[in-house]
Amino acid sequence: MFETLPERFRTYDLKADVRTLMILRQAIDKGLVKTLGDVYNVLKGIVVKDPEDMGPFTRAYYDYFLNIDIENGDTLSDAIARSETFRKWRDHKIEKNEIFKTLSDEEQINHFLDDVHLSQYDIKEIIAGRDIFDKNPGDKTDGDEESMDDIRERLLNKMADYSDMSLEELLDRLDEIAEQQKTKHSGGDHWIGTGGISPYGHGGAAKDGIRIGGTGGGKMARMVMNDRKFFPVDMDSIINDDNVDAALASLKGVIEDSAQEVLDVNNTIKNGLKRGGLFLPEIKNLSEQKLQVILLIDNGGYSMDPYVYVIRELFKKMKTRFAHDLETYYFHNTIYDRVYTDVRRRQPFMMDRLLSKDPNYKVFVIGDASMAPYELNRMSLRSYFRLKKKFKKVAWLNPEPEKYWHHTYTLNVIKQMIDMYPLTPRGIEKAVLEMNKKSK
Amino acid sequence: MADKTFWLGSDKYLCDRQLAQAFHISRTLGMPLLIEGEPGTGKTELPIQYARDLNLDLFVYPVGSKSNVEQFVARFDHVKYLRDSQIEILNAQREEKGLASKLTTGGRDPENLSDYVVNGPAVNAFKSPNSVLLIDEIDKAPREFPNDLLYALSHRKFILPESGEEIEVSEENMPAIIITSNREQELPTAFKGRCIYHYIHFPDADTMKGIVAKHFPKAETKVVDVALDVFYHLRNLGLERAPTTRELLNWLKYVKNFTTAEAIEKIEKLEGIGTLIKTQSDLEKIQKNILDPRDFQKRSTPN
Repeated sequence: MFETLPERFRTYDLKADVRTLMILRQAIDKGLVKTLGDVYNVLKGIVVKDPEDMGPFTRAYYDYFLNIDIENGDTLSDAIARSETFRKWRDHKIEKNEIFKTLSDEEQINHFLDDVHLSQYDIKEIIAGRDIFDKNPGDKTDGDEESMDDIRERLLNKMADYSDMSLEELLDRLDEIAEQQKTKHSGGDHWIGTGGISPYGHGGAAKDGIRIGGTGGGKMARMVMNDRKFFPVDMDSIINDDNVDAALASLKGVIEDSAQEVLDVNNTIKNGLKRGGLFLPEIKNLSEQKLQVILLIDNGGYSMDPYVYVIRELFKKMKTRFAHDLETYYFHNTIYDRVYTDVRRRQPFMMDRLLSKDPNYKVFVIGDASMAPYELNRMSLRSYFRLKKKFKKVAWLNPEPEKYWHHTYTLNVIKQMIDMYPLTPRGIEKAVLEMNKKSK
Repeated sequence: MADKTFWLGSDKYLCDRQLAQAFHISRTLGMPLLIEGEPGTGKTELPIQYARDLNLDLFVYPVGSKSNVEQFVARFDHVKYLRDSQIEILNAQREEKGLASKLTTGGRDPENLSDYVVNGPAVNAFKSPNSVLLIDEIDKAPREFPNDLLYALSHRKFILPESGEEIEVSEENMPAIIITSNREQELPTAFKGRCIYHYIHFPDADTMKGIVAKHFPKAETKVVDVALDVFYHLRNLGLERAPTTRELLNWLKYVKNFTTAEAIEKIEKLEGIGTLIKTQSDLEKIQKNILDPRDFQKRSTPN
């Protein structure tokens, strides 16, 4: 059942696969899923793996199960109000009880959300309820609250007849219906949207389902849709204040530490001899903390100006989190025989000295690699060549959008020597992944 | 049979509905619950309070940068093993020299390898049915740790080193496993995939009132209201390190020693703000933003 779910959820950039279905099925078998709201809760636990997934997840859920399409920048209320599902649901509500018409749009939507997320009726009811609803089309005239309850009572009693159907069977039907809704937009078969959610309100026969209690079931969903932090940052846009944290997250991957215990041979022998030949193994912690980063920043030329600040922010943040080696140097357009230790480029630092550093340093060069062809002379080429040769891990991060790269001659020359990545969170992530590959 | 009823918190602990739900799902499915969220939102409290409330055994594994799966599951104590196995020779030598005193192995028998297996919290939890296992701050662990954990957790089985003993737990007796993370490091996707995930949102003012009431049942509503007002105001300033629930509770602990009027005055004067604000730059920002602390007074007593 729900075979199409993983595929659909993946179009929202969520990680859903066969395992998702298996766990969902397990949850159903164990009685965790009794209502549509339960489906939301269980799936959330399985599919959402980051607060940023919450937004896309909520959208995917409303799309898949309720046929409500929440567009970018939509509030949940708008999307619901626009949807066919809601319209049908409301028509039914009004049909049943005229008073419902007098409620404001906002209140109606709240009711709708409560029905979706809170309703305590069984999924069995959704299916069975439809049949009964079809057979009892005349009950709508009575608006009196009390007699509505009576009717509901009666219907629930009748529903016992359906209880021999397995939940799975019913869900299968539900799934079919969801599919039908997709292909056939109108027509009377909007079970999930209309028959499913409306006719019996909170009359629930479900007893053990997990329920969101208390105040407003759609509260969470609404909160999610209104908050940018529940949506992924654009991993492909050039680093800015918004996604600098995401970039940092990928940069953290540079750390290579491991906790391994190894035999300390020297001490074992030394102490063993002292004990007159009783050798007790001495253990030492082997830890490799290799976050040694050299940062070479091109801060010359107007083209780089907009980026210098964020780049420094990025690495500053990194430095405060990890008190390891981070060395920053600056250059103008291209590297000749020296770089500079200060932003104004007054304090030269010779390349020879830089090249005498530990080869385990990871080197990030940040620059647009765009210069006049004559600037990239032999000396400069040689510097890049030596840099690449000396340090095992060198990556060039370019703030220029990747699609323009082929226009620049010097960029392409450099790119052939040093791996180049766009200066975006994703680009950094790639560079870091490449760096972390075990060196041959 | 492990307890699978829906747990909603105790008289000491207000469990967020969403969290309670995720916890319930994870226990029913026998999957670990991975909780992420801002520091100080009560991630660690859940298993502790749950175990206390239901009187279950709690096993904690605090993760550090040197954590490895051996410490978590079980390790073989090579040093003791070698020592004990050499003791016999030593004792013989001593006897030769006429020394009466003998070294002892403390009841351990080098023939029996399982005497030298030191069990970690994971094995202990798996051995006691219906217990609670907390893996605290997994984001502090070396990168391979979560992945190493995967196998053990998803197969509900550990194989002890050297002795080869297998510790297995049935699905029913699976301990409730709670893993917390402060998101200082991304966890591997495969690992997250094996867990039920829950992100704790920072509680809103109403929920916070409930939390405060659980901790300080006798606190004056007025004091709490004023304190929360200040607290959320501070949080909205966009500080580098926004104060969290834990810090709010500490602050209230400080002011509760005074009478209501005194307490309110102290809160409004931001006395004891050191419990809330932890960096110099934040402190400066607050001084810049809140020129007149009496603002709070005006807002909290509108008439």
